[in-house]
Order: sequence, then structure tokens, then C-alpha cells
Amino acid sequence: MSDQATSLTAAPSATQRLASLASAGAITVALTAVLIVLPFLLGGSWTFTLGLCFANSIGVLAVSLLVRYGGEVSIGHTFFTALGAYSVGVLDAGYGISLWASVPLALLLGVVFGIVFAWPSRNLHGIYLAVTTLALALAVPEMINNLDALTGGYEGLYVATPLIPGLDMGLQRYYVALVMLVAVCLAVARLRLSRQGIALLLAKTHPAAADAFGTRRVWARLSILAISGGIGALCGATLAFSGSTVSPGGFTFWQAIFLLVGSVVSFYGLSMPRVLLGGAFVTLVPQLLSSSGAWIPVLYGLALLGMILLGHYLPRIRKALNRSSEAA
Amino acid sequence: MDQLTNALTGDGIALSFGGLKVLKGLDVAFRAGEITGLIGPNGAGKTSLFNCLTGAYSPQEGTIAYDGEKLNSLPPAARAAKGIVRSFQHVALCPDLTVRENVMMGIARTGTAGWLSAFLPLPQGTRERESMARAADAALAELGLPDVGDKFPSELPPGMQRLVEIARAVVGKPKVLMLDEPAAGLNNSETRDLTNVLRKLASTDLVMVVVEHDMDLVMSICDRIYVLNFGEFVAVGTPEEVRANPDVVRIYLGSDDDE
Repeated sequence: MSDQATSLTAAPSATQRLASLASAGAITVALTAVLIVLPFLLGGSWTFTLGLCFANSIGVLAVSLLVRYGGEVSIGHTFFTALGAYSVGVLDAGYGISLWASVPLALLLGVVFGIVFAWPSRNLHGIYLAVTTLALALAVPEMINNLDALTGGYEGLYVATPLIPGLDMGLQRYYVALVMLVAVCLAVARLRLSRQGIALLLAKTHPAAADAFGTRRVWARLSILAISGGIGALCGATLAFSGSTVSPGGFTFWQAIFLLVGSVVSFYGLSMPRVLLGGAFVTLVPQLLSSSGAWIPVLYGLALLGMILLGHYLPRIRKALNRSSEAA
Repeated sequence: MDQLTNALTGDGIALSFGGLKVLKGLDVAFRAGEITGLIGPNGAGKTSLFNCLTGAYSPQEGTIAYDGEKLNSLPPAARAAKGIVRSFQHVALCPDLTVRENVMMGIARTGTAGWLSAFLPLPQGTRERESMARAADAALAELGLPDVGDKFPSELPPGMQRLVEIARAVVGKPKVLMLDEPAAGLNNSETRDLTNVLRKLASTDLVMVVVEHDMDLVMSICDRIYVLNFGEFVAVGTPEEVRANPDVVRIYLGSDDDE
């Protein structure tokens, strides 16, 4: 058998993989360092937009996590982002309570409602689960409007309480979003190493095998929707703080679709550079296209197609470039 | 049926899918310290019996017990907690996990580190992962695979993948080890390695059951063999007894002596 193992030299070695992981880590650290100094180089409007971009990246991560660890697609994650955003909005506007209390509440609500949604839908898979999440997305704006005494209805809520009193609010809106994004990415990277993460991945690819080794399918479904819901709520909380307002317009069915689009554009990646790519697509592309009038949907579709094709062919292009540089 | 110490027993197991009777009231006793073979032609009901014993299927009739304790109402996860583990006919390793992590799944259920440890670098979670990784490496080494822990399953040939599955099954020191066609898709050299590994794993307190088509493997390692056909046992005995049974020769082994 050992001779067979040595014959498989074409497969990447563990050392190569470790090297690629180290380089991915270095890219993330470098990217974070750049993002830390960016507000001092850019104008206020870009700082504001990037804060939203970080928040949307967290939402993209929540959707991608469900795909990667649960094998399921959600087109209703605005339900969870709305939960998080209104936790921040209501506590801030109604009681003057800052993120120190509202973020834990948002996380808790996201996790609890993730489980509440997962339990009745535990036996649904694929398109059936996706359509169920779609129902959630469609219901969100109506629910917000009907609870107008709490949510402020169409007018929404304004989030003004600083996290650290005395510090420039514009910078706080940026750095809070950045810290949240980094923290969530680190936590998700840690999940991959944990026994729970390992069990979820096996349950996704071989549910019967996971069952046979003590991981029940129901546990896996509840867990992944709780985690994804919790992260979705953190996205909402960050959006509320960084965007300064919370209103039903931010949690429409289309916003849910955009989060899924961001997840597709990032190729369901869970690393910070990948989710930032998805978040940037969700946040920046509509802004860049805002002056294109009726052409916006067409150009958005083309941009999406371009990103997917680029992602699809990038490995081949890299390989071809490597071959040509080796030949030279 | 007598209660047997540390034995996995089935008493009158009957299973139907609609009007099709797959298992027709089978009595089995898989004893500790023995390697028991379960053979039969395709469609005989071997995997169905296997699935009943591991909890994947619930038989309509009959009692399944381990060491006298009834298991019928327990789902597969609960049976795994009692030390009853299995491998799969088609390799069921997760491609996203390294070989070591796949093997660690065999003892993941024994972990106690909570969800906070899953997301934060807390000492309890780190210690638990290291201890599980050490156990996985030891199981891989026991099966003659000391250097593959960091690889992914797709980087290994089918024979090694089978052994990794077995390592996952034995890492938790099971009481019952059920192997569903472990030699399927293996070449002669890989089957020889597998045979040696299975012999090495056999111990006085382990119930080992092997569903297999490879007659050489079954005849060489099994102490007792059950022969199943159309949901009924047609023979039970030592390899020599089974080999000499004319019904078995007729329905399964063929009339030639090439098996």
C-alpha cells in the first residue's frame, strides 16, 4: 500500500497546503492593516460606505456559512438582519442603550429565532427550504410595519448613541463594523477546527455516517441555522450602527437576494478577503451603477456574470501563467 | 434465544418495504471475540439486516439487543454512544476534512467542550482537539497509516480510504464493529492489507461483523459465517461447514471450486 501512496505525488502535499494557509493568513492580516489606516486616507463618504460594506460582508458570511456547513441556501436572511438591526435601533432610539447591550441581544435573538425557524423546517432540504426562507424574507417588511409602535414603521429609527462616548462618530461607525467583521471571521475560522464544526461538515456530506457516529441530523440543522441566524443578526446590528438608520427599506426581499448574490460572488468563501469581495459587490456595485438609470438591472446582471466567470476561470488563468513563467 | 455476554443479537427480525419482505424473521448472534461473516447474493438482505442492527432501519418485528439490552428504540447516534459503530458500503469520508479530522469524528461524540470553545480559543477546546487528534493519529498508526493525517481523503487510493473509515470506526474503542463490504473496489494487494488489519483488530471483547462479497477474505478471517438468501438464512457455521454446504454452493458460491 505504501508504494501506492508514493505514487500519488500529483496531489498537493500537507506542506504546500500549510504554506497556502499561511499565505492566506498573511493576506488577511495585510488587508486588515490597510483597512485600519484607510479612513485617514479616504473621505468621509467612502468611510461610511466601507462601514456598510463590512456589515454586508458579515451578512454574506452568514449565508455562505449555511451553504458550506449546512449544504442549504437561504433567500431569507433579511429576517435575521432585521432582528439584529431593530435590536440596536429599538434599544438605542427608545432607551439610549448602546451596542454594548444591544449586540449581545441581537446575537441571542438571531440564534433563538434560527432555532425557532429550524425546528419546523428540519426535514426540508434544497429548494423546499429555500422557498421557506423566501417566505420569511417576504414577511419581514410587513412585520416591521405592523409593529410600528416598536419599530417606527416606514420612518424607521435613528441610531445615534456612540459605543465610546467622545470619540468621532464617523470613525466609530467604520471601526465598529471592521472589528465586528474581523471578530466574526476569526470565530468562523475557529469553528472549522472545533469538533462541532467537523461534525457539521460530515453531517452535510454524509448524514448517515454522521448519524452513525453520534451526530444527529436534527442537531446539525438546528446548530447551523442558529449560528447562521446569529451571524445574520450581527450583520443587521452592524448595519444599523454603521448606517445610522434602521428602516423597512433595508430588509426587503431584494436585500435578501443581494446577500445571496454576494455569497455566490464570494464563491461561498468564509475567509475575510472572500466575504469582503461579496460585501463589496453587494454594497458598491449598486452605488457605482446608480447613475445608469434603466440600465441598472442589466449592468448589475453583467457585473454578476463577469465576477462568476472570472472566479471560474481564475484558477486556469493562474495555472497557465505559472506554466508560462516556468517555461521562461 | 439465549442471552449472550457482550454479544449483538437479533431475535425474529422481520423487515418489509411495502409488500416486499426483505428479512423474514431472522435470529442472529454475533459473539464477542469472533469475526462473523454475513454473505449472500445481491439483494439477499445483508445490508438491510446491517441497517436494522445499526438503527438506520426499524424492523417491523423482532428484538435487537446488545449484551441483553434491547436496542430497538435507539436511533443510530444512541447506538454509536453504546459502542456500536459501522463502516459504509460506499466510502463515507468528508472531502472537506483532513484524514485526521475524519478519524476524529469517531470520538467527537465524547467531547465535552461547549459552543463557546467552538468559536473562541479557550483552553478546554484546544486541549480536547489535541487529545482527539492524538487518538486519531494512534488509530491511523495502528492501521498502518502513520503519515496520512494531514492529507485529504481524495489524495488517498481507495484501499487507504477504506482503512481510514475503519480507523474512524475503531478510534473510539467500539464494542461492536460492523463493516459493510470493506473490500469493495480494492485490488488484491489492498485486500491483503485489509485482511491483515482486520485480523489485528480482532480481540476477545470485540464483536466484529463483516458483510462481504470477497469469498477469500471472508473464508480466511471469519470464525463463523451466516449465509443469507431472499431474507432467510440458508446456512450458519464455520467457513469449512459453509463451504461444504450444498445449498450454499448452489445459490452463492457456484459449483466450481474457484472460490
